[in-house]
Amino acid sequence: MATETDTGRLEFDTDFGFTSDRIRYGWYGLLAVLLLVGAYAVYLRITQGMASTNLTSTTPWGAWVAFYIYFVGLSAGAFLVSTLSNVFGMEGMEKVDRDALFAAAISMAVALLFVWIDLGRMDRMYHPFIWRQITSPLMWEVHAYVAYIAVLVTELYFAMRVDLARLAARVGGWRGTLYRALTLGRTDTGERARERDETWLKRVGILGIPLAIFLVHGGTGVLFAVAKARPYWNSGLFPIIFVVSAIVSGAALVMGLYVLRSKVLGGDLDRSLLDRLAKLTAAFVLVDLAFFLIDMLIALNSLHPHDVETWLLILTGEMAWSFWLVMAGLGWAVPLALLSKRSWRRTPALMLLAALSVVIGIVGVRFNIVVPPLIVPVMEGLPAGEYFPSLVEWTTSAGIVAVGLVLYTLGVELLPLEPLGDDK
Amino acid sequence: MSQSNTPGVPDVDAMDVDRMVENEREDPESVLAEADHSTDLGLAMAEDAKRVGRGELSSEQFWAKYDEAARAEFGEAYEVTPNPAVDSDDQTIDEAAAESLSCSVGSMDSVAAELDESEAVEASTAAADVDGDSDDPTYGMVIDLQKCVGCDSCTVACKAENRTPPGVSYNVVMEEEHGEFPNVSRTNIPRPCMQCTNPPCVQVCPVSATYKMDNGVVNIDYERCIGCRYCMIACPYGARYFDFGESYDDEITEADEITSPEYGIDRHEEGRVEPVGNVRKCHFCHHRLNRGEEPACVETCVGDARNAGDLDDPESDVAQMADSDRAFQLKEEGGTDPNVYYLK
Ligand code: SF4
Ligand code: SF4
Ligand code: SF4
Repeated sequence: MATETDTGRLEFDTDFGFTSDRIRYGWYGLLAVLLLVGAYAVYLRITQGMASTNLTSTTPWGAWVAFYIYFVGLSAGAFLVSTLSNVFGMEGMEKVDRDALFAAAISMAVALLFVWIDLGRMDRMYHPFIWRQITSPLMWEVHAYVAYIAVLVTELYFAMRVDLARLAARVGGWRGTLYRALTLGRTDTGERARERDETWLKRVGILGIPLAIFLVHGGTGVLFAVAKARPYWNSGLFPIIFVVSAIVSGAALVMGLYVLRSKVLGGDLDRSLLDRLAKLTAAFVLVDLAFFLIDMLIALNSLHPHDVETWLLILTGEMAWSFWLVMAGLGWAVPLALLSKRSWRRTPALMLLAALSVVIGIVGVRFNIVVPPLIVPVMEGLPAGEYFPSLVEWTTSAGIVAVGLVLYTLGVELLPLEPLGDDK
Repeated sequence: MSQSNTPGVPDVDAMDVDRMVENEREDPESVLAEADHSTDLGLAMAEDAKRVGRGELSSEQFWAKYDEAARAEFGEAYEVTPNPAVDSDDQTIDEAAAESLSCSVGSMDSVAAELDESEAVEASTAAADVDGDSDDPTYGMVIDLQKCVGCDSCTVACKAENRTPPGVSYNVVMEEEHGEFPNVSRTNIPRPCMQCTNPPCVQVCPVSATYKMDNGVVNIDYERCIGCRYCMIACPYGARYFDFGESYDDEITEADEITSPEYGIDRHEEGRVEPVGNVRKCHFCHHRLNRGEEPACVETCVGDARNAGDLDDPESDVAQMADSDRAFQLKEEGGTDPNVYYLK
C-alpha cells in the first residue's frame, strides 16, 4: 500500500524534517521564546510558591488542572484514533497511526507536567507511589497514567520498529546510532518479523483501549464525578462526557496534524482520509453536544440549588463568554458548520481551521468543567470564589505546552512517524 | 515592665493594694466581741493561726499551746468537732464528720478521692489514645445556635491558638439573614471541621496524608501531604484551607515567632518546615485534647454555645445534647455523619 503514497517518497526518503528552513527556524525561534518566558515563570512559581497563582481556598483548582485534563483528553482521544487502524484495521488510517500515538505520548507527558506544577509540594510528587489510599481516584489515576504511557511507548515501538531498522541500515552518524538504539537490537525487517510486530501492536492496542477509555480518561472524569460535594460534577454521565469530548479533541488533533504535516513537511494529502477524519470529528462533536445537553437538562431538572447555580453561572455569569464563544462557538458551532459540506471536508485549509477551532474550543470545555463549581460556595454563608488565572499561571502553561511542541517537533523531524515508502 | 506603663491600670504598687485590703478587713476585735466566747483567746489563736499559715509555727505546736484553753472555753462542742490537724495526717476530715457538720461539698477526703478518680479516668483515656483500643473516646462538638451571638470570638481564639496564617481560618461563623427589614432575624452558624464519621476528604487523598484517628479526629500529616488539594474539592463543608505561605509578619512584628504545637508537634522547635503548600484544617485542638483541655474555641466562647467532649460516653454533656430533639447536623443527607452537632 505504501507504493500508493507520494511518488517523491517512493524511493524512501530518509530526511523528513521541515522542507523550508525559514519555517524551521521561525518555528524553533517561537518555541525558544515561549520556553524562556515559561522558564522564568516556573522560576517565579517555585520561589513564590502557590501564592504566585490566583487560586484561593475557595477555588483551589484552576488553569493548571484544566490544562491537565485537557491534555489527558487529547492524549486518550489521539490514542483511540490510532487504534482505528492498528486494532480495527480501518482502511487508510495507518498513515496517521504513528503520528497519533506519538502525539498521544507527548500530550500525556505534558499533562503530567501540569499535574506536577499544580502540586503544593512539587518535591513530594513521588509520594503517591509510596503511600496509597485505595479509595482515592487520584491515586488510581497516577498509576493508570504510568501504565498508559508504557502502553503508548510499546505501541510506538512496534509500529515503528521495522522502519527504524531500515533507517538504521541506511543512515549513518548519530542518527543511525539513534535508530539502531531505538530498535532495541531487533533489526529483522523480514515479512515474519513485520507480522509479529503487527500482532503485538494489535494486542497492546487492545489492552490500551479499555485503559484509555475507562482508566485514563474515564477515570479522570471519575476523579471529578466522585466529588459529591460538587453536584455539578457528581453525575454518572460525567465520565462518559469526558471520554467523548476527549475523542473529539483527539480526532481533531490528528486531523489538524495530518494537514499541517503535508503542508509543512511536504508530501501529498489523501483527501478521502481527510474526509474520513473530518466525519469522525463531526460525529463525535454531535455526540458530545447531545450528552452535554442531556447532562444540563438533568442538572437543571434536579433543582439542586448548587447545581442550578453553577449552570446559571456558566451560562450567564461573568465568564459566560468562555462558554458561548469558546466552548459553544469554537468547540461546536464553527466545526459543525465547516464539517457540514463534503467539498469543504476535502479542503485541507478549512479542515485545519476546523481542527484548530475544536482543539481550542475544548480548552474552554475543560475550564468550564473545573472552575465554575469552585466559584459557587459549598454552603450558604461561605464566601464565593473569584478566579482568573494569574500571569504566572498563563506563562507557565505556555512554557509547558512549548515543551510538548518542542518534543513533538523533534520527533517529527527525526522519527519515521509517517510510514516510509517501500524499497525499490 | 512597670505597671505605670500599662494603659488603663492605675499606678498603684503592691503595698498600696495590701493597705486597701487591710482597710476593708473587719476589725477582729469587734467581731469577736459580739460572740459568746472569749475575745482574747480568739485574737491570740487567730494571730498564731496566721503564723501557722506562714510556716513559722507547726500545727502540732499550735494545738499543744491551745488545746487545753480551747477545751475549757468551748466544752462539749470542742470535743465533737473533728479537728483535721489532730485527727488525720493529711489535715482532712472524714466523710462521717463532714456529714455531721452538714458540709455540702463533702469531706476534703472524698473531694480529693474524687479528684484522684477523675484523673485516673483521664489518664486511662489518654493511655487508650496511645494504644488505640476500643475504649477510645469519640470527640465531638455541640454548638447551641440559640446561644451563639455571632461574635466570632471562636474564630479569633482559634487563630491565636493555632497561629494560622492569613487566608487560613479553621473556624468561621457563617451568617444568614432572614426576612425583610424591620422583621429580620439572623442565624449564626459557626463552622469548624465536622470531623466527619465518613470523611470524603480522607477517601480522596491519594497519599493517605489525611486520615481519621481512633478518637474521631481527622488528621493531616504535614510530612506526607503533596498539596494536590483534592480533599478541598471533596469536603462538603468548605472546612479545608490551603496554606499559601502568607504571614502576618508585615502587620505584627515577630508574628511568626510563636507557633502552635498542632497535632502535638511543635514544628518550629523541632526544626521541621512549616506546612506551607499543604492543606490545613481544624483538628479539634488535638494538642489541647491530649492535655485534657478543651479546644480553644470552646473555652473562649462568650455565649457558652460551644461544647466539646466524648460522644461515646452517654453520661457526657455533649452526648446528651447531641441526642436531644434540638440536635441536627449540617448536610445530614450527604452521609458524612459529622461529629459536630448543632442545637436549633
Ligand atoms: S468537614 Fe471536611 S475536612 Fe472535616 S472531616 Fe469532614 S470532609 Fe473532612
Ligand atoms: S492536599 Fe494533601 S491532604 Fe489533601 S488530598 Fe492532597 S495530599 Fe491529601
Ligand atoms: S477546635 Fe481548635 S482548631 Fe478547631 S475551630 Fe476550635 S479552636 Fe480551631
